[in-house]
Amino acid sequence: MAEETKSSPANGGGLSLRVRGPRDFYGGLFLVALAAFALWAGSDLSGMRGFSFGPGTAPRLFAWLLILVGAAISISGLFVDGPPLESYALRGPAYVICAIIIFAVTIRGFRFTFFGSEMRIPEFGLVVATFLAFMMAALGAPRLRLLESLLAGIAMTLFCVALFRYLLQLPFPLWPNF
Amino acid sequence: MSDLLSNLWLGFSIAGHPINLGFCLLGALVGTLVGVLPGIGTVATIAMLLPITFGLDPVGALIMLAGIYYGAQYGGSTTSILVNIPGEATSVITCLDGHQMARQGRAGAALSIAAIGSFFAGCVATVLVAALGEPLTKVALEFGPAEYFSLMLLGLIFAVVLAKGSVVKSIAMVLTGLLLSTVGSDLDTGAGRMTLGLPELLDGIGFTNVAMGLFGFAEIIRNLESSEVNREVVQSKIRGLMPTRQDLKDSAWPIARGTVLGSLLGILPGGGAVVASFAAYTLEKRLAKNPRRFGHGAIEGVAGPEAANNAAAQTSFIPLLTLGIPPNAVMALMVGAMTIHGIIPGPQVMTKQPELFWGMIASMWFGNLMLVIINLPLVGIWVRLLRVPYRLLFPSIIVFCCIGIYSIDNAPSDVMIAALFGLFGYWLVKHDFEPAPLVLAFVLGPLMEDNLRRAMLIARGDTSVFFTRPISAVLILISVTLLVLALLPMFRKRRDEVFVESEN
Repeated sequence: MAEETKSSPANGGGLSLRVRGPRDFYGGLFLVALAAFALWAGSDLSGMRGFSFGPGTAPRLFAWLLILVGAAISISGLFVDGPPLESYALRGPAYVICAIIIFAVTIRGFRFTFFGSEMRIPEFGLVVATFLAFMMAALGAPRLRLLESLLAGIAMTLFCVALFRYLLQLPFPLWPNF
Repeated sequence: MSDLLSNLWLGFSIAGHPINLGFCLLGALVGTLVGVLPGIGTVATIAMLLPITFGLDPVGALIMLAGIYYGAQYGGSTTSILVNIPGEATSVITCLDGHQMARQGRAGAALSIAAIGSFFAGCVATVLVAALGEPLTKVALEFGPAEYFSLMLLGLIFAVVLAKGSVVKSIAMVLTGLLLSTVGSDLDTGAGRMTLGLPELLDGIGFTNVAMGLFGFAEIIRNLESSEVNREVVQSKIRGLMPTRQDLKDSAWPIARGTVLGSLLGILPGGGAVVASFAAYTLEKRLAKNPRRFGHGAIEGVAGPEAANNAAAQTSFIPLLTLGIPPNAVMALMVGAMTIHGIIPGPQVMTKQPELFWGMIASMWFGNLMLVIINLPLVGIWVRLLRVPYRLLFPSIIVFCCIGIYSIDNAPSDVMIAALFGLFGYWLVKHDFEPAPLVLAFVLGPLMEDNLRRAMLIARGDTSVFFTRPISAVLILISVTLLVLALLPMFRKRRDEVFVESEN
């Protein structure tokens, strides 16, 4: 019995494979998944017609090659020692992405279907979108100084309005329009 | 020869027009202003500033963009020297000795040598672009689809070989880029490819969205990881901008050598500018009597690479203007800008719109001149800009990027796609994948597919066409040789050395 516990996966013995280069292993795996997804998404496209390419030929060619290379990377990650996975930060990316999404959905309004029902975010315009996105991004900083960020946000908003709307005359809606 | 002179004269008379000079100046100024911000490279700068050229006429817009390009590059060097943060790959090298010089109180000399070196390289490269433009355009007319395809393949192989890190992983990035480029309507049949039923994807994924996500947003996300972004702006007052006579003497030859090296490497498709500065640095170090000075503030280590990367930046216009093939991400943005103004880059630009072609070439020279004139006196302002804390800087960059992306097509979905690519870029970094080959492949993808299809159609499905047509065969042969060399252990070690050198 004692022998059996020794060869448990935690000790790296037995049949279990220890991933030696996890960055390559998971990196390659993800690319294979991406290519497989592309194959699925493009499965409706017709392929070769005689000797002329169909719309599906090139995407399938690239996807299969990517599967091949991705698998090679992944397999080499199984056997070749590599650096460990780096930890992902959550806070920074979350605020940055939120800020960008907020800008995208407020600048001109946005429609989407949520569990079958149509949802609509009204148009807020450049002023609100810029300011909200700025503040949301600023929250992602390691140390927040609210007053400073507020002032900088207002200044940035004014600058963007002056530059894009008045100086460059780009057709942005300025104010909310419900 | 007289043709060349009269063409250049035409160019100078157009670029020298006060209004165009103004655009050039404005472009160089804004380009530097944004390029100086730490963590923003040339690609993100140009993508961000693209909207400000929308309202101009084509010639003015392109002149301004060229100004932005040089400004952004010079801004990157300034950041490298003063804060030791390279805006992008081409200025990594400048950090090594430039920042050391700054810490020894010679920031002024480093900045002015960088500007003078760039200016000299720019002058030479401008003439080169003008001289090579016409003959290469003639060559381009000989090119059929098979040749175009093989040339682009060579470009991608270059990008793979020249990218840092694993060759296999770079190939994977190229394939990912190619795959992503096929999303959207098929050129021949109009069928929507891999659009997941989303109408927003019918036009394909915009290049600006990919570039902004991978180079802009991903960079910010990564910078936020380190709790306090470590920036040591050189605090001591910059005294004496002018280099001493000895400085000039020391850097004269490195500048000349860098110019030659950069001009040659820039013409190659596949990110020549980056390699140019690496190569120039390695060359100077090899040639130096006392190589140990390098990394401790050797002025040759600033002069050579700066000249090289500027020369390469300029000559990389050659494949774009003559063959219509963008050799790097910046040139891909130029394609985007040209298309917005209804110009299709390629051999016909020179014959159909000579004033645009030669005006742009001449404006390169003016752009470089302006950098020397305006930037040295403005160094004080750039230094102050660098002291703005990152916690205020990065939200501003994000907002600016968002507005920039949105304004191109007035499409909120573009902004979301960029956000998605920001996350993807962050993931790539975590798994040691290089985004540069992906972006180049994404740009070349549609062109490659189109030419591959046409070549196959003309050859009636016979793949040997790529090997039987002589130009195509040579190009393929070079590609294969390069790839094999890069994969061979002996050369791989050498290649790794070059990149390691640049990192410590």
